[in-house]
Amino acid sequence: MATESIKYAAPDTETKLETKVFPRPGQHTSGIVDWLTTIDHKKIGMMYGLTALFFLLIGGVEALLIRSQLWSHNMDVLTNRQYNQMFTMHGTTMVFLVIMPLSAAFFNYLMPLQIGARDVAFPRMNALSLWCFVAGGLILNLSWFFTGGSPAIGWFGYAPLTDTRFAEVIGDMGPDFWIFSLQMLGLASLLASFNFITTIINMRAPGMTMMRMPVFTWMTLIVSFLIILAFPAITIALVELMFDRTYDTNFYDFLEGGKPHLWQHLFWIFGHPEVYILILPAMGIVSEVIPVFSRKPLFGYGLIIFSGAIIGFMGFAVWSHHMFTTGMGVVATSAFSILTMLIAIPTGIKIFNWIGTMWGGRIRFDTPMLFALGFITMFMIGGFTGIMHSSVPIDAQHQDSYFVVAHFHYVLIGGALFGLFCGFYFWIPKMSGRMLNESLGKLVFTLMFIGFNLTFFPMHYLGMIGQPRRTHSYNEGHGFETWNQIATIGSAILGVGIAIGIFQFINAFFNKKLKPAGKNPWDARTLEWTLSSPVREYNFARNPIIKSRDQAWENNYGAKENHSEKEPLDDHGVHMPDRSWYPLLTAFGLFVLVIGMLFHASIGPAGELVRDYTVAICGGTIAIFGIIMWSLEGPAGYHLFPKENEE
Amino acid sequence: MTITHHISKISPKLVLIVNTIFLALLSSCSRVDHKQSALDPKGLVSQNQYDIFMLSVWITIFLFCAVGGCLLYVLWKYRAKSKEEAMEVPEQMHGNSKVETTLILVSAVILVILAVPTLQGVVLMNRVPDPNDTATLEKLKLDKSQIEDAITVNVTGKRFFWVFEYPQYGIVTANELVFPASKAVRVNLRTEDVIHSFWLPKLAGKMDLMPGQENFLWFIADEDKIRKGIDPDGNPYNVDAKVAMPSVFNGEMRETIFTKQAFTDEFEAVGGLFYGQCAEYCGNSHAYMSFRALAQTDEDFDKWVLKFRNAQNPNLQPSAYMSESKYSKGDIVTFSDSTIGENVTREYRAVKVANKGQTPSTQPKSWEKVHSDDYEKGKILFGTQGCAQCHAINKTGLGAKGPNLTLFGLRTSLAAGWMRNDEESLDKWLRNSNEVKFGNLMWNGEGVDDRHPLRQLEDDDEKVSQLVTYLLGLK
Amino acid sequence: MSDASAHALDHHEPVTSTGIPNKKVLMWAFLGSDCMFFGTLISTHLIYRKISATVGGNTLDVRDIFDIELTSFSTFILLASSLFMALAVSAIHKGNLKSTRWMLFGTIIFGSIFLACQVYEFTHFAHGKENVNGDLEHQLTLSSYAGKTLEEGKDAVLEPHVFGSTFYVLTGTHGTHVAIGVFWLIGWFVYSFTGKMSTADAMDIECCGLYWHFVDIVWIIIFPVVYLMEYAF
Repeated sequence: MATESIKYAAPDTETKLETKVFPRPGQHTSGIVDWLTTIDHKKIGMMYGLTALFFLLIGGVEALLIRSQLWSHNMDVLTNRQYNQMFTMHGTTMVFLVIMPLSAAFFNYLMPLQIGARDVAFPRMNALSLWCFVAGGLILNLSWFFTGGSPAIGWFGYAPLTDTRFAEVIGDMGPDFWIFSLQMLGLASLLASFNFITTIINMRAPGMTMMRMPVFTWMTLIVSFLIILAFPAITIALVELMFDRTYDTNFYDFLEGGKPHLWQHLFWIFGHPEVYILILPAMGIVSEVIPVFSRKPLFGYGLIIFSGAIIGFMGFAVWSHHMFTTGMGVVATSAFSILTMLIAIPTGIKIFNWIGTMWGGRIRFDTPMLFALGFITMFMIGGFTGIMHSSVPIDAQHQDSYFVVAHFHYVLIGGALFGLFCGFYFWIPKMSGRMLNESLGKLVFTLMFIGFNLTFFPMHYLGMIGQPRRTHSYNEGHGFETWNQIATIGSAILGVGIAIGIFQFINAFFNKKLKPAGKNPWDARTLEWTLSSPVREYNFARNPIIKSRDQAWENNYGAKENHSEKEPLDDHGVHMPDRSWYPLLTAFGLFVLVIGMLFHASIGPAGELVRDYTVAICGGTIAIFGIIMWSLEGPAGYHLFPKENEE
Repeated sequence: MTITHHISKISPKLVLIVNTIFLALLSSCSRVDHKQSALDPKGLVSQNQYDIFMLSVWITIFLFCAVGGCLLYVLWKYRAKSKEEAMEVPEQMHGNSKVETTLILVSAVILVILAVPTLQGVVLMNRVPDPNDTATLEKLKLDKSQIEDAITVNVTGKRFFWVFEYPQYGIVTANELVFPASKAVRVNLRTEDVIHSFWLPKLAGKMDLMPGQENFLWFIADEDKIRKGIDPDGNPYNVDAKVAMPSVFNGEMRETIFTKQAFTDEFEAVGGLFYGQCAEYCGNSHAYMSFRALAQTDEDFDKWVLKFRNAQNPNLQPSAYMSESKYSKGDIVTFSDSTIGENVTREYRAVKVANKGQTPSTQPKSWEKVHSDDYEKGKILFGTQGCAQCHAINKTGLGAKGPNLTLFGLRTSLAAGWMRNDEESLDKWLRNSNEVKFGNLMWNGEGVDDRHPLRQLEDDDEKVSQLVTYLLGLK
Repeated sequence: MSDASAHALDHHEPVTSTGIPNKKVLMWAFLGSDCMFFGTLISTHLIYRKISATVGGNTLDVRDIFDIELTSFSTFILLASSLFMALAVSAIHKGNLKSTRWMLFGTIIFGSIFLACQVYEFTHFAHGKENVNGDLEHQLTLSSYAGKTLEEGKDAVLEPHVFGSTFYVLTGTHGTHVAIGVFWLIGWFVYSFTGKMSTADAMDIECCGLYWHFVDIVWIIIFPVVYLMEYAF
C-alpha cells in the first residue's frame, strides 16, 4: 500500500481503555499479527476464501475416496463405516465449509466496494465471524481423532440415527462434534449476515439507492435475510439434539415420546432456504459477469432482483418436498408439490433474463464468461431434475437414489461452484492486481466441465436403474459398474480441474510475472471497477456520489450527468478503525467452550457419570472477557490522508 | 487461433451435444431389463410413476432444447467477431416487459401439464381404489376382486433386515416377500429402530419406515408384464404364468433363479422375481439391507401360505412319542436317539401302523428317520451355538432379533438379499459373516464377542456342514 | 507501542443511508432472527403438548405440576421491569444520568426477581411435590415424569416423558435471554458509576432496551401458550 501518502492523525482524544495484555496492533502492523487482528473486510474476505478453498480440497479428497470405493461392485477401498463417515463429512464440508464461506468471501470483499462503503458496519464483528468459521471447521475435522471417528450420520443427520441409543460405536463422539461445529458455523453465518444487512441498508454511498445496487449486492442482502431467518431453526434443532445426546431429553427419542419427524421438519425448514443460500450468490455473480462480457446492462434488472427475493421467500414454503416419502399424507404432499413447482417460475425468469442480456450484445468468451455459460446450462439441468422431484410420484422413485445425488450436484457444482469459480476468474484481478492466465483458465473450465458431466450425468441413470445413495457397496448383476466407472474417471478429471484452478487463484497473489490488471481490465460496469487493483486499505479516498446503476460503465460511456462525483476532500482524512485482538480471542474462547462441552462427561471410578465443566467454563470466561474488553476498547482508529487520485 | 480459443467457442455447444446424447440414452435405456430398475415398471403404481417421469423427461428435453437452442443462437449471432467489435458499445436496453410476461405465462402453463398427472398420481399412490368405485377400477383396468381380496403385509425394518408379517394368515417371514401377482398388496411399514425406506422400484416406488408411526404403500403387479419375455433376437414373447412365476412352496422358484441368474452380469429375467432395497441411510450396513419380492400365481400363493402356516403352527409341531398311542402311517413323532447325542430327540415318521409300545427303537421297521443325522446334529447346533437366541424357526417369533428362518431352504437369497442361498454361500456366511458383509449384526450385534460360539465356527468344517444341512433342509 | 499515540477516538457518528443508527438496525435484525429461535422452540412445545399426555403409564396433567400463582406473579414482575427499562431509556435521552442509573437498577432487580422465580420453579418441578404421606409425586425432570404415588411410603415412579424436555428447554432458553439481559444491564449500571456515561451512550442503552422489551414480549407469548393454555383446553 502506498504508505508514503499516509500521515498520522493527531490524537484528539484518549482511547477508552488500554490493556497491557492485548495492546491494539497499530497502523503499520504487518505479517501474521496483521492477518490475525485485521478488521479490513478485504483481508477477511480473502481469508474466508482461502480457508474455504482449503476445505474444498479436503472435501474433494473425500469425494474421490467415495468415488474410488464405488469403482466396481464389492470394493474395499474403505470399510462401510469409513465410507459412511466420508459421505457425511463430504456433504457437511462442502455445504458449510466450502460453498457458504466462498460466498461469504465474495460478500465480504465486494459488497462494501459495490455500494461505495469503506468497510462493513461492524468490522470487528466481521472478524469474529471469520474466526468462528475457522473454529467450526476445525472442530468438525478434529472429530477424526476421537472416539468413533467422524460422524457417520449423513449431512442431514436424521434422527433417530443420531441418538446415542443407536450409536454403532460405544461412546461415539462424531455426532457431538458435528452438532457443535454446525453451531459454531451457524454463529459465524449469523454474525456475518447481521453485519451485511446493516451495511447494505445503512452504509450505501450517497445516491446509491436500493434500485441502483448491483445485483450481487442485492443477492447478498437476500441471502443474509435467508440466513438470519433460516439458521435459528437448525440451531434449535441442534440444541434439542445436543440435549438428547448429552442430558437425555426425549425430543427425538421415539421410544420415550419424541418424534423423529420433527427433526426432519426443523432441519429442512432450515435446509431448503439453505439451498437458496448456496445458489443465490452464484446467481448474483453470474448476473454481474454476463452483462460485462456482453457489454449490455442486465436485461430486466428489477425482475431479476424480484425473482431472487421471491425465490428466497418461497424457499421457506417448500421444505417438505424433501420429505415426500415420509408419509405426510395426500394433502400435505400435494400442497408442497405444487408450491415447489411454482419456484421454477422465478428461477426460469432468471435464465430468460440472462439470455436476454446477451441478446444484441458483443459477446466475449473469456474464462469468467465460459464459467457463467457453464453455470446457466448446468444449473438448467439441475433445475429441470428439480422440477421432476417436485412431482410426488416421480419422487417416490427418485428419493434417496443416485438421481437425487446427480440433481443436487448439478445445482451445487454445476450451479454454485461454477458460479463461484466464475467470480474468482472475474474478480481475482481486482483482488490481486494481476490478470490470470487465460489459456490456463480455459483449460480449467474445459476439465471441470467435462469432468463434472462425466461424473454426474451417469448418476441420473444409475438412480433410475436402482442404485440407492449412501450405500458403500453394491452387488454384482445390477449393471451399475460401467456407469460408476465413468463417474469415477470423471471425478478425477474434475478434481484435476479444480486443483489447477485453486493453484491459479493463489498463484495470482504471488506471481509477479502475471500481467498487471489495471483498474478495469474487463471494461466492467459496477462501482468496484473504478478503484485501483488491488483495492487500497481505505477503498475510496473520497466518498463517491452515485448517479446511476452500472456506475463504472456510465463513467466511461454514459452521458455526462450520469458520471459519478466525489465528496470534497475532508481535512479530517479517512477514519480507519483499529485492528483488534478481541474477535480472535472471543472465537478462541468459544472454541475452548465447545471442547470443554465435548469432553465434559466421563465415567467415574464407580461407573457413574461424572460431569466436569471446568474447561467449558474457562472457555466461556475467555469469550465473555473478550466481549467485555471489545466493547470497552471501542472502535478507536487512525486517520489516513490519501491523495485525490489514490484509490 | 489457439486451441483453447476453439474450445471456448465450442464449449457451450458441447454442453448441449453431450447432454442431448445422455438424455437420449436415458430414454432409450428404459427398455433394458435391470434387476432393480425403475425404468422397467411391472406394476400399476410404478407404471404410473414411470409415465409421469417420462412426461417430465420429454418436457425437460423440449425445454432444454428450446432454451439451450436460444442460448446457442444468441451466442453465435452476437459473438464478438474481432477485437474491434469486442470494444463496440451495443444498444443498452434494459428489458422488455411484454417478452418477460409471456415467458412467465408459458412456464406456468408447462407446469400445469406436469401438475395434473402429479396430483392424480399422489392419490393413486396413497390410496387403494375403492372396490365399489367401478369407474375408477375400469380406468385402471382392474377387477373388483383384485382389490377386494387384497393381502396385507406388515413390514418391520430392523437393522439390517426386513420382517414380513402376514396378519391375515398369522405367519411371519423375513427378507423375501411372497405375494400373489393378481392381487393388490397393502404394505404397512413400521420400524423398530432407525428410519428405513422400503423401495421396490419395479412395483411401487418407495416409502419410509418412520419410528413411532405407521406408513402405508400399496402395489399390484401386472401379470401380463411379468409374463413378457424377450428372446435373444430381441423379440418379445409371452411365457406361461407357471414358467414366469415358478412356485415358491416346492422350491421351484429357488431352482429357477439359481439356473438363470448368477450374482454376476449374466442375468436372465425371472418374471416373478423383484429386487428391493432399503433407501434411507440406516447405519453401517445400510448398503446390505436389500430384499426380494416373489410374485406367485393365486394357487401357488395359497399353497405357500398353507405350508408356512403349518410350519409355524405350534399345534402341528411333532409331539413326543407316547407308548400308549397308536400311530398310523405318516405320523411324525419325536423320540430320543442316543447315536446323535445324549438326551436328544429326533423326528421319526411311521412308515406303517405302529401299535402301542412299538417305539422307533424297538420296532425300527415301522419307523423311518425323517431327516439325516447331519440335519439333526445341525438342529442341535442351532440351539447350542446361540443361533436360536436371535432366530426363530417354525414359530412367528416377532420379537426375535434376527430374521425368521422358517422354511429357510425355500429362500432364494441369503443375508438380506445379498447373496445366493446355496450351500457354498451359506458355508462362507456361517464361517465368517463379517467378511461377506462387514458390520452385520450376526457377527457384531449385542452380546456377540470373540467368545461367542458363532465366532469359533471358522475352522470347524463339521459343525458348519451340519448347520448348512439343517438350514437348507428346512423346506 | 509507538502507534499508541495514533489511537484516536473518532466519534462523529457516521451518516447512514436510512438515518437509523447502525446498531439499531443490527439489533432489529437480531431480534428478527431471535423470533425464529423462539418460534421454533414454541412450535416444538405445541407439537408435543397433546401427544405427550399419552406416553408411558403416568398420565400427565400439567396442572398438577404448575404453580400458576407464582408464574403469574413473575410475569407481572417481568412486565413491570419493561416500564423501568423504558424510563431508563427516556432518562438517558434527556441526559438525566441519576435517573437512568436508578431505573436501570429497578430493571435489574425486577429481572432478577423473575429469574429467581424461575429457578425456584425449576427446582420445585424437578424435586416433585410431597403428598400427605410425605411421598414425592408429580416430579418433572428433563427426560421423565413421575405421576401420582400409588403406594404409601413410596415415591412415584419416573417414566420417560417428553413434556419436561420441551418445557425446560423452552423456558430455560427464555431464562437465559433474561439472564444475559440482566448482565448487560448490570454492565451499564456499573458503567454509570465511572462517570463516563453520557447521552452519547443513549443509543447503546436504547438497543439494550429493545432487547429487554423483546424478551418481555416473548414471555407474553410463552406464558399463555405454555401455562395458561393448559388451564383452558
